[in-house]
Amino acid sequence: MSGTKVLDLTHYIAGPYCTKILADFGAEVIKVEKPGSGDVARAMGPFPEDQPHPEKSGLFLYLNTNKKSITLNLKSATGVGILKSLVKQADILVENFSPRVMPSLGLDHGTLEEINPGLVMTSISNFGQTGPYRDYRATDLTIWGLSGILYEHGEPTREPLKMGANVSEYVAGLYGALTTISSLYYRDETGVGQHVDVSILEAFHTMQPTMTLVFSMAGFIRHRAGIHFPWGILPCQDGYIGFFLPTQTHWESLCALLEMPELREKPEYETPLMREERRDEITAIIVSWLRDKRMEDVFHAAQELRLPLTLVPNTKQTLEMKQLGDRGYFAGIDHPVAGKLTCPGAPFKLAETPWQAGRAPLLGEHNEEIYGGQLGYSEELLTKLGDEGVI
Amino acid sequence: MSALPLQGVRIIDACIYWAGPMATMLLADLGAEVVKIESIQRLDFLRLLGGWPSADGYEFSAAFNGTNRNKYGITLNLNHPRGREIFKRLVEIGDVVTENFSPRVMENWGLTYDALKEIKPGLIMLSMPGFGTTGPWRNYVTFGPNVEMVSGMPTISGYPGGEPMMTGYIADPAAGLMGAVAVVVALQHRHRTGKGQHIDLSQIEAFTAFMGQAIIDYSMNNRMQPRRGNRHPSMAPHGVYPCKGDDDWVTITVSSDEEWDRLCDATGNPSWASEPKYTDAASRYSNHDELDKLMGEWTRQHDKHEVMQILQGAGVAAAPVLSYAEFLDDAHIKDRGFFETVTRPLTGTHPYPGFPVKLSETPVTIRRPAPTLGQDNEYILKNLLGMTDDEINELVEAEIIGTKPQGWAYSMEADEAISKLKDIHARGDDSKKET
Repeated sequence: MSGTKVLDLTHYIAGPYCTKILADFGAEVIKVEKPGSGDVARAMGPFPEDQPHPEKSGLFLYLNTNKKSITLNLKSATGVGILKSLVKQADILVENFSPRVMPSLGLDHGTLEEINPGLVMTSISNFGQTGPYRDYRATDLTIWGLSGILYEHGEPTREPLKMGANVSEYVAGLYGALTTISSLYYRDETGVGQHVDVSILEAFHTMQPTMTLVFSMAGFIRHRAGIHFPWGILPCQDGYIGFFLPTQTHWESLCALLEMPELREKPEYETPLMREERRDEITAIIVSWLRDKRMEDVFHAAQELRLPLTLVPNTKQTLEMKQLGDRGYFAGIDHPVAGKLTCPGAPFKLAETPWQAGRAPLLGEHNEEIYGGQLGYSEELLTKLGDEGVI
Repeated sequence: MSALPLQGVRIIDACIYWAGPMATMLLADLGAEVVKIESIQRLDFLRLLGGWPSADGYEFSAAFNGTNRNKYGITLNLNHPRGREIFKRLVEIGDVVTENFSPRVMENWGLTYDALKEIKPGLIMLSMPGFGTTGPWRNYVTFGPNVEMVSGMPTISGYPGGEPMMTGYIADPAAGLMGAVAVVVALQHRHRTGKGQHIDLSQIEAFTAFMGQAIIDYSMNNRMQPRRGNRHPSMAPHGVYPCKGDDDWVTITVSSDEEWDRLCDATGNPSWASEPKYTDAASRYSNHDELDKLMGEWTRQHDKHEVMQILQGAGVAAAPVLSYAEFLDDAHIKDRGFFETVTRPLTGTHPYPGFPVKLSETPVTIRRPAPTLGQDNEYILKNLLGMTDDEINELVEAEIIGTKPQGWAYSMEADEAISKLKDIHARGDDSKKET
């Protein structure tokens, strides 16, 4: 993405993850932050020893690698004017405010398009730029709730359960990157920019594109069923192993793994449906077999049998995973305030234009470079803007 | 039809199952011409997931139908040298090759990036096996659930004090989405420099990217995040609460003390809400169990949509837990025109979830439903490769192409198959809330 200039008005997760993809693959991303406090993620943990510090937020440090930070008060007319001059030089602008914010600042797509007709403007919001819920508030959990996905996830006797990471936010960030880059590709071909409207709710729903169709085709709704055989995440001596073994071949390989050929002969376990009916028995057999087994031993033995059974690592074990280490997956961050940290690295490996490790910027770290170098503001002007609280 | 961003890009797509086809579906949505390759010897496995054990059952899988729209579909037996030769001719006129086999599969066929780039300079190729194309575990078998498991996300997911949980599917489409991003990054580079490249995408690494917060926390504090259920590390209340009705729930999350005050006003300021143990976020967090009980007593008196209206009216994030049927019918989703009605041979007319992003100049729509098996054999082989009817007939006779799967055994009529499937699904239906 080298040679691409991105104005980044994003905060929290979805927007910053979108621009992180652009920055890590070489785009020049200028992150515009609120003077004083910056991106709200700077106030969110994890922090080292749980001590909040705007330059030490793990969330912020992960999501803002390779970006440049400038501060700019968009609530002042001067600030908006400065942003407009930055828009003139940009290929892409990404924002994830609530849909009424950009128009209220006089920065609606129509206005920006006039300043720069080739601009790709990407707006990521919970419900999209239109529709009755447009101005509603939402978080990852409420998005899960509306999407249909939460309803079918969890134990049947308990409340629906969400996964522990902010999946909807990351998914929307990726959709933002996909459509922004595609729009840039189109712009390079035709000279025409456009407005990209990403709805986090719709984006997240596409992570289960099947079940509305199942309902329409066959008229049934899947209810919460928990995780039971032929699914499983079961404890072993030093961790968890996990599997989904729906077929007859899987069952036979599982019996071989357990070294219990007699299970194969049992008439009451003959078909997948019969095994599902006796899932508690089967699970008990596996659990007792696993009790003194090591996670990696079981994993490798199963894979020898081509059985799709894998380890389920905790975060420490993820960081120690041989495969990820061998592929150099984890990236080091060397940050002047937060120090040395480790986080996920390249999400995919490009042979010719590899992903770049890097660090997140300090708040306003690049004010001089961008305002002085790129916009040609004098030192006096910068001081004045600082005094006025614009930057 | 209006223009699309990736118009003019041709993708030769050997992806099967879910993650790979999701990647190429998104690229097809954005305008790429995707030629999907299956074979009559080996169907895309996704056709069998939820497909019905009836005569044309492999056309009825909702998963397949929902993951292969906007593509052309051909059959080609890549185990046969003639099949591989045709594959190479397609590569010659293509821009991108995509596959998500175990790494050894394309190697065994001699269809590696190094071999294919000789045929087509500037080629982009996406390989997306579970563990990536290198490393000691590269040939290990993984399905979508395994990708989710190995990412480690289940160990930070689950009811507090309970065992790890997973969705069982979410990593597949997520890795597919990442695959689509990888291809457009490479396309943009090629557009500016003329250079193609090989993309090595490990589905596990792609999905582990979503674990950044937990991983950096460990790196900072040598600490593993607990299974918090629906709770948040700092917000309170933050949960799923029971509503009027049999299995009806609402999600409510309060991110600040101001939001909490507004929630109290909107719910008629119950006397307990002003107790010191609920007035600030930290206190609410330490009394989360009790707080949940009291919140539940209020939500239980209301319909889940009513709770959304009351609380959103006060600027508090709240939303009903919708079933897929309710999502289809949701006022906002309808207003956005998210679902598109599509008619397909055999399966008929149904609403399909559309593309979740609106592009002002190049709107994305469902232009064609998922292909039936070998549907576009003639179109592709004649129009793109200039083959004659005789050549095509030869290929049919040699079983290199075809439109009926080999060895498809079916045991029941479609109606019977559906009712059987309903029975299986209904067994999760004993879901009654604990009161």
